[in-house]
Amino acid sequence: MASEFELSRNITIGQYVPTDSFIHRLDPRIKLLVFTILVLAIALNTSYLGNALGLLLAIYLFWASKIPISYGLSGIKPAIPFIIILAVLQLIFQGNVFSGGTVFFEYGFILITSESIRLVIVSAVRFVEIILLSSVLTLSTSTTDLTHAIQSLLSPLKKIKFPVHEISLIITIAIRFVPTFAIEMEKMMKAQASRGADFGSGEWWRIIQRTKDMLPIIIPLFNIALSRAEDLILAMESRCYTPGNDRSSYSVYQSIGRDYIVLVIGLLISALLLFYHFPF
Amino acid sequence: MPIIEIENLSHTYMKGTPMEHKALKGTSMVVNEGECIAIIGHTGSGKSTLIQHFNGLIRPDSGKAIIDGVDLSKKRIDIKALRRKVGLVFQNPEDQIFEKLIGDDIAYGPFKLGLPLKEVRERVKWAMDMVGLDFEEMKDRQTFALSGGQKRKVALAGILALKPKILVLDEPTAGLDPRSRNELLDKIKSLNKLENLTVIFVSHNMEEVAYLADRIYVMANGTDVLTGTPEDIFTDKENLQRYEIGTPETVQALYRLKDLGYHVNTSAFTISEATGEIIKVLANGEGGNRG
Repeated sequence: MASEFELSRNITIGQYVPTDSFIHRLDPRIKLLVFTILVLAIALNTSYLGNALGLLLAIYLFWASKIPISYGLSGIKPAIPFIIILAVLQLIFQGNVFSGGTVFFEYGFILITSESIRLVIVSAVRFVEIILLSSVLTLSTSTTDLTHAIQSLLSPLKKIKFPVHEISLIITIAIRFVPTFAIEMEKMMKAQASRGADFGSGEWWRIIQRTKDMLPIIIPLFNIALSRAEDLILAMESRCYTPGNDRSSYSVYQSIGRDYIVLVIGLLISALLLFYHFPF
Repeated sequence: MPIIEIENLSHTYMKGTPMEHKALKGTSMVVNEGECIAIIGHTGSGKSTLIQHFNGLIRPDSGKAIIDGVDLSKKRIDIKALRRKVGLVFQNPEDQIFEKLIGDDIAYGPFKLGLPLKEVRERVKWAMDMVGLDFEEMKDRQTFALSGGQKRKVALAGILALKPKILVLDEPTAGLDPRSRNELLDKIKSLNKLENLTVIFVSHNMEEVAYLADRIYVMANGTDVLTGTPEDIFTDKENLQRYEIGTPETVQALYRLKDLGYHVNTSAFTISEATGEIIKVLANGEGGNRG
């Protein structure tokens, strides 16, 4: 029986699953680049076939990285309500914007056409693809690697005085602390439940009451987050961290043959998704 | 009369994910009403997982857990009533304080029970008395301005205000200064002896265990490996070594005297008994190899 409090179970962002697969061993810079381009390409593709391809690719990548797909899918679970609400809204209100194709249903301002149905299905599938792809990336790349990759990919921006190092540090800290706070929140929910607190059992329309029920968790969580931040600052300062300094790196990345092959294949698939006109 | 019966209990965290982790592998335990039980064992031996079963935060994967007559493996049980009966104090409980004023924070639990204001007030007063906070003086103080030891007392009072039958504490004194530590231990002892609460606590501090516990459970690798009175456990040299259990300093001192050839009773682990033993040695002037 799964515990009602096992939150970290459904949080796949920021976790690292070391299975030492081919995907894990790729140069993180190339991995990040390819994944970013792939996600962009998928986001811009509006055909059924193209998105089916994207979904297959995401599933293949899970297989290749030896991470169970069920684990990736559990990361989608919390997003399902949003996907459904989005789909319903699009179905009702977007018919007039995407009015091409056959009209299936028309009543007042509600217009449902084959094009708007396409939009609904494609955006739902796209959502799943993007979550899966970004999960593969974060599950197969350690935070350190990810930071270095972000930093080195953004480094051309230094020329225009863009704070590359600071931004990549912020991103890393944000990703790194997602699972940590999930664990803290779990602990807090358990602690307050032990004092008789009750979460999510009120009627759903009593939003104010349900929000109030969350205060005993949210307030301590803010406290914990702030004190963690202070600890982090102290730890960084005591190691003489100075923002804006030129920093050398302990590990130096070197791209080898297979990294370039992956880059080329990734770019080809992205180009296909972006420019090829899929029949449907 | 047993108030907690655990039999062959197992639990796996994050089942079905790559992070799957077997925390409990068939633990058994019996706690009688009014007892004070210490659970000791190294990090990762399953102590925290076990105690979270006591108030139904975690339900048994397999095995049996009966808490005060409630069978946890049954699906439909009154979990809120169970949590009222079993007060669970987590590690660093001061994190859970969220109200601005001490009195309000302690009153959170009783209010959640739907008690009338007067009763809530009485419970808060009683709970604050129990942990040694003065009701009139402290109830309207700000929670954030308290010291670590006081915060922990407030958190403990927040649980006591539920009037539980069983009090479960996870490392209650970790991170406290010696004075707050001793105060808290005395409070726990008097709750157990005077208010007749069943107390179960996890600890790494053997002095504490020797001072409080009627019986000890030693856990290793997700199971209970040893149980007995502090006297049994602290004199069982072979198992102490096998499970790398520390002993109170009194026991260590007596063992060293014995190794030097003095005739001392190594099971005298409380401070006053150990003092007696040492005085006896000094008075007799007896000795082994040192004379």
